[in-house]
Amino acid sequence: MCDYYAVDAGPGVSQRGTRRDPSVYEMLDISAVAAEFTDYSSGTRTRVRLTLPGMHCASCVWLLEQLQQFDRGILSSRVDLIRRTIEVEYDNSMTSLKAVAILLSSLGYEPLLNREGTERQRDADQREATRRIYLRLGVAGFAAGNIMMISVARYLANGNNIDLSLERLFATLSIALSVPVYFYSAAPWLRSALISVRRGVVSLDVPVALGISTLFIRSIIDLVSGRSEGFLDSFAGLVFFLLIGKLFQQKAFEAVSFDRTVRSFFPLSVRRERRGREDVVPIDAIHTGDVMIVRNGEVIPADSVLMSDAGYVDYAFVTGESVPVECTSGSMIFAGGKVVGTALRLTATRPVSQSYLASLWERTSSRTPRTSYGKLSDRFGLWFTIGTLMTAIVGAGLWLPDVTLAMNVFTSVLIIACPCALTLATPITLGTAMGVLGRYGIYVKNVGVLLELKRVNTIVFDKTGTLATPLPDAVYTGRPLDALEQKAVRAIASNSAHPVSQSIASTTAPFESIECISERIGKGILGRYAGYEVAIGSWQYMNEVCSKVEVEETCDTFVSIDGTVVGAYKMRSCIHPDVASMISSLREEKITTKLVTGDTDRDAEMLSSIFPSSDMTFRAIPSEKVGSVDRLRNAGATVLMVGDGLNDISAMAAADVSIAVTNGTSTLAPASDVVMPADRLRDLPCLLGYSNDLGRVISASLWFTMAYNIAGLALALSGLLTPVLTAIMMPVSSLLVIGISVFGARILSQRFA
Amino acid sequence: MSVMILLVICSILVAGGFLVAFLFATKGGQYDDLGTPPVRMLFEDDVAKSNDNQ
Repeated sequence: MCDYYAVDAGPGVSQRGTRRDPSVYEMLDISAVAAEFTDYSSGTRTRVRLTLPGMHCASCVWLLEQLQQFDRGILSSRVDLIRRTIEVEYDNSMTSLKAVAILLSSLGYEPLLNREGTERQRDADQREATRRIYLRLGVAGFAAGNIMMISVARYLANGNNIDLSLERLFATLSIALSVPVYFYSAAPWLRSALISVRRGVVSLDVPVALGISTLFIRSIIDLVSGRSEGFLDSFAGLVFFLLIGKLFQQKAFEAVSFDRTVRSFFPLSVRRERRGREDVVPIDAIHTGDVMIVRNGEVIPADSVLMSDAGYVDYAFVTGESVPVECTSGSMIFAGGKVVGTALRLTATRPVSQSYLASLWERTSSRTPRTSYGKLSDRFGLWFTIGTLMTAIVGAGLWLPDVTLAMNVFTSVLIIACPCALTLATPITLGTAMGVLGRYGIYVKNVGVLLELKRVNTIVFDKTGTLATPLPDAVYTGRPLDALEQKAVRAIASNSAHPVSQSIASTTAPFESIECISERIGKGILGRYAGYEVAIGSWQYMNEVCSKVEVEETCDTFVSIDGTVVGAYKMRSCIHPDVASMISSLREEKITTKLVTGDTDRDAEMLSSIFPSSDMTFRAIPSEKVGSVDRLRNAGATVLMVGDGLNDISAMAAADVSIAVTNGTSTLAPASDVVMPADRLRDLPCLLGYSNDLGRVISASLWFTMAYNIAGLALALSGLLTPVLTAIMMPVSSLLVIGISVFGARILSQRFA
Repeated sequence: MSVMILLVICSILVAGGFLVAFLFATKGGQYDDLGTPPVRMLFEDDVAKSNDNQ
């Protein structure tokens, strides 16, 4: 095992504070829950697949594939570093899924136990889609290469007669090779064109399918009648390039999986208390009136009423509010909150599926979709098809009454006007860009989003979490503390789960030599460290533990040492560094910035240096956020909503583009068009600029192919388009477009560095 | 010239063999994970040495 550190420099993640109570894995003993993770199970062997978000390097792969050395019951383990999954096969009689999960967690790779970790159908679908593209690509590449080889011989013969039997063999072989290309490799375009025509829409796939079909059918007619060598080499090459474009797109899609449902955030199971017994049940088994026990760090799956005396619930994911809420007995607790500190006893008031969280989500998904990239391409497809057909008909008409030549011109126009470069330029440029952005932690949902971003002229920010740092800073005022006293205060504070204590203690590791800790939940904490008796808490609490309190009553958190109040901590959220400069550089680009937040106006003063007061709205409930986004859009603005909580989700859906900001990779982000880490927010102007540049790269390739095609059209209309000319023109234009797209997107991304 | 015919057919059959091999490999899942194998091949019995050489 000593080789672990030799595999990769700087492996591993800190284990401090990550260890979870092993009882959370008890649910894996329920067969219904375990089945969610099981790929295959026979009497003696079981193969499971788990998602481990923590794996990140070569050493992780090495360690995780040595699992059989830790547990003899494990037969094999195999890691997929890209998808962050591990497949473990084990012997049922010697170990269990629960034991495997506990082992992984003890190694520092905590398996995802919520729905998100079990979405294997989506994974399997994606893998299947990629496989199919590879297969099509293989067939098309094989055919293209061989037909080209045959064709070259005939091009070189150039009028001199080749042996007749050889000629016939060449024709038969090219046809035989191209049939699978047409019916198998090119199937996606043909099918999509058929579907869109049947629906009464003309997508860009229609002229592509038209061009491919004309190319194929005319070549076969030419070859059979012996009139010319046919265009089958160009045809197979074209399909090959089109498939490369599709592969780019698919790879980019795979890197980011975005289709989440509200269920994927929930745990798979919960502890239920019934007739004095606690047992773990799947969340669907929770009915109104059931008593649940939810522990520190667990997510509450259903709306409920608090039975315990008091506790803290972190609604960061639901509301975006960074400070956990203090709840007292009898208060309403909403699903999606995370328990902080002591475990809570809750009585469910509604089943899981009817929670406030689920309703927020549904309201979002029922909204009508926006004008999308797809629609744009449809409109363009219609225009393009009509134009091509008109040119072809007019061109053919000019050559009448020579029917053969007219048909020749008609088909040549359809061939040369096939918008293959068009279908390549957009997915390849944007697919490359998605890959590049992914390297900086910025994940884009689909290629259309990047095009949408460049139209943005108004940005609406939600403050909490987006602009502010996750934990508020505790600012100390009072008698200066010496180093040992400071250490004592932090040590005591680190023993309390109260958010204020946590932010006082945040910078230091756990201490050991603490004596006599007593805590009154929500009031304060008292303890001894290195000879000091330290109390931290509210003004009332100070009155209880100190003999004499000489300070005025405020809402701050007071600190006393050896019975004397020495000072107080004020809570203040901190604006992300760089935010001010980011906002001002957005202003330079003439982009309007607004702030709409559900928070109280306690930070208004601090924010006023960044936003004029007319642009700030405080205490906005989710529907008001939607209202302000709608108002801006009705006034003609293209709105980008930047948010982080689930309460922003309807506003994010209402906006033209949405960005979700996350703190740390494991944080859940609500569904949105773009996900970026908080420390990358300063790159927002860069991102907008980049999307502008990408638009320019795409139009550059389009103008280039336009010019190229017009030259080709001139040849086609004059009836001079020969197979050998096409065989040269088509791949050259495709390769140039791929080159422009890839290099353009890469070189321009340097602004992020 | 008939030797040409033979050659052309032979070459296409050989190439076809490679195509079939590729199709089988793809269907068998060889191209599913392109990220882990390049990392995994570093783990020979003697990992430490291979790393020291770098």
